[in-house]
Amino acid sequence: MHGEFKVPKGKLVVVDLEVDGDALRDVRLTGDFFLYPDEALEPLTASLEGASAGEEEATYEQLISEAVPEGAELLGFSPRAIAVAVVRAQRQGATEVTDA
Amino acid sequence: MRDEMERRWKAQNWQLIAPTPRAPAENLALDEVLTQRVGSGERKPTLRFWGWSRQAVILGRFQSVRNEINADVAAEHGIDVVRRISGGGAMFVEPDGAITYSIYVPDDFVQGMSFADSYEMFDHWVIDALGELGVNAWYQPLNDITSDAGKIGGAAQARRGGAVLHHTTMAYQMTTSLLGQVLRVGEEKLSDKGIRSAERRVGPLRNQTALERDDIIYHLIGHFRSRFGLADDSLTDDELAEMRRLVETQFSTRAWTYFLP
Repeated sequence: MHGEFKVPKGKLVVVDLEVDGDALRDVRLTGDFFLYPDEALEPLTASLEGASAGEEEATYEQLISEAVPEGAELLGFSPRAIAVAVVRAQRQGATEVTDA
Repeated sequence: MRDEMERRWKAQNWQLIAPTPRAPAENLALDEVLTQRVGSGERKPTLRFWGWSRQAVILGRFQSVRNEINADVAAEHGIDVVRRISGGGAMFVEPDGAITYSIYVPDDFVQGMSFADSYEMFDHWVIDALGELGVNAWYQPLNDITSDAGKIGGAAQARRGGAVLHHTTMAYQMTTSLLGQVLRVGEEKLSDKGIRSAERRVGPLRNQTALERDDIIYHLIGHFRSRFGLADDSLTDDELAEMRRLVETQFSTRAWTYFLP
């Protein structure tokens, strides 16, 4: 499943994932954002692996925020932007689309 | 702030690497080599203009290959697909289509400055130099250079080992329609940019100046030299050997390019 969110005046955040039972699997975070240092991508992605499916945006935002390594900088995106893309990815294929 | 920026530029002992046509992967490897060497003090702060030997799509550090490009179209036209060490978006380049430069400088150059402010500082001189050619350009956060006639280019940075790499690519001319076939641009990406046609409006420098590509490059070099000082330099044998090693072990490998498939 695939979700995208373009941060207003910022960059594009793309999340690809699978839902296995009630858990997120094979999460991949990509986009044209800037992240320093490079290695910070791994813990951000790992924070979502195995997380409960079907949660609110705020829940994912908190998981991601807690995983940002000390001193890391996110430029043009944020934990919230990633959370929006995570929710959108899961909504893909749903019969009822309730876009906020 | 303006005076402080000018002071920081003038305080560096800048070296110039003039453009030589190189394979896309060699250009990317050189960015890694020269950033490391400026960070370690083996090389002085450097301005390098890129030369292109062939067409390429250059992905940003964190982009997915299949989300960004049509690999079939790239393969059919013999276009290299490579990944750079900085974040940001994919670009399509042709030998005479773009003007690209890299700046390598110790990170005290950006001390006390936000990442966003540093983007503006690194390209400020180019905007002034383009103004001398009659191009009314400005910096548009986060990382774009735009103008009356449309977007001119974009910048990206990487930081490692005590140095900052800032590189900028500007459109010189659009000679083929391959761009739209090779790069995918989704609706979501354009969602905050108003109408689609406005986002796609590009103002290549050839249209805006009627100058040859080399003339623009040498105008930029001349502006930099007279303003901040710039000595002619060349790559050492050792730097070129390291470049070739990194092309082999990293920048031409599938493991690197497809690390985010």
